[in-house]
Amino acid sequence: MRGWLWILVVLALGGLFYWGMQRNPKELPSVLAKERRPAPEFTLPVLPPYRGEWGETFRLSDHLGQKPVVLNFWASWCYPACYEEAPVLEEAWRRYRDRALFLGVNTQDKEAEALRFGEQFGLTFPQVFDPRGRVGVDYGMYGVPETFFIDREGRVVARHAGAIDAATLEKYLKEVLP
Amino acid sequence: MRFLLLLALLALSAWAQEPAAPPPDLSPEVFAIARELRCPVCQGESAAESNSGVAVEMRRIIAEMLEEGKSKEEIKAFFVERYGEWILYAPPRRGVTLWVWVLPVLGLALLGLGLFAYFRPKKPLPPELLEEAERRLKEPPT
Repeated sequence: MRGWLWILVVLALGGLFYWGMQRNPKELPSVLAKERRPAPEFTLPVLPPYRGEWGETFRLSDHLGQKPVVLNFWASWCYPACYEEAPVLEEAWRRYRDRALFLGVNTQDKEAEALRFGEQFGLTFPQVFDPRGRVGVDYGMYGVPETFFIDREGRVVARHAGAIDAATLEKYLKEVLP
Repeated sequence: MRFLLLLALLALSAWAQEPAAPPPDLSPEVFAIARELRCPVCQGESAAESNSGVAVEMRRIIAEMLEEGKSKEEIKAFFVERYGEWILYAPPRRGVTLWVWVLPVLGLALLGLGLFAYFRPKKPLPPELLEEAERRLKEPPT
């Protein structure tokens, strides 16, 4: 009887250990995406090269409810992840620009360096500037790069942490596109 | 007298070991709250210790909220709302994370029980067995 008890205890501890080892500590939950919360509102200055088309400041709520929004947080110092995903995002934007809105949020960066990054990759989707990183906190962002997918009702459907590749971007876009 | 002097010196040095004062622009209260929040981009560092951009911004938000007259609980709730309970350095004492608090105590209790069972005074031997043993000891070896 007691022998069996010990075996049970050891098995339970072993099972707990195994379960713990299977978990990915880098996989962090997004409260916004899990509960499909409305995308937190923000108004940020638009980076100079994009002002002609998008105006001086960008207010998210002006653009919600029409097309899905792909919100990408990045910084020029985020190497290599942000450098890997920039061409992917630009390419997708060119393909989907009449069906979805892409918005880059430059986070905790210097303006000159942000502009250089935009030029280097020839980014044509609107870019806003958040040197403090306040909007990132509202989105529960862990670190750049992170990409949020907002559906047509203005709700956050998914969050991707780390550099995004074409296939993953496509998969999430399908989820938010009508 | 010398002993007293030594004691005073020791006390003085202990006093000098107090944690370094926070930068003058943020109040110690900001750091006290930040110490209970996790820095999202760090490994095992609180928002008070880290100098990463997010942690600096978190301290700035805490300072602003304190200025607005928000309480410590309100500020912590603000971050939990955005990051989930993961952001709290100490897991809450309810739900699944209650186990984190209970299990060590439970483990210690089990260990104590095991040790007690192992070292428990054994039952005395029956008297007739003892008598028999004594009798045999006294017997001359054959």
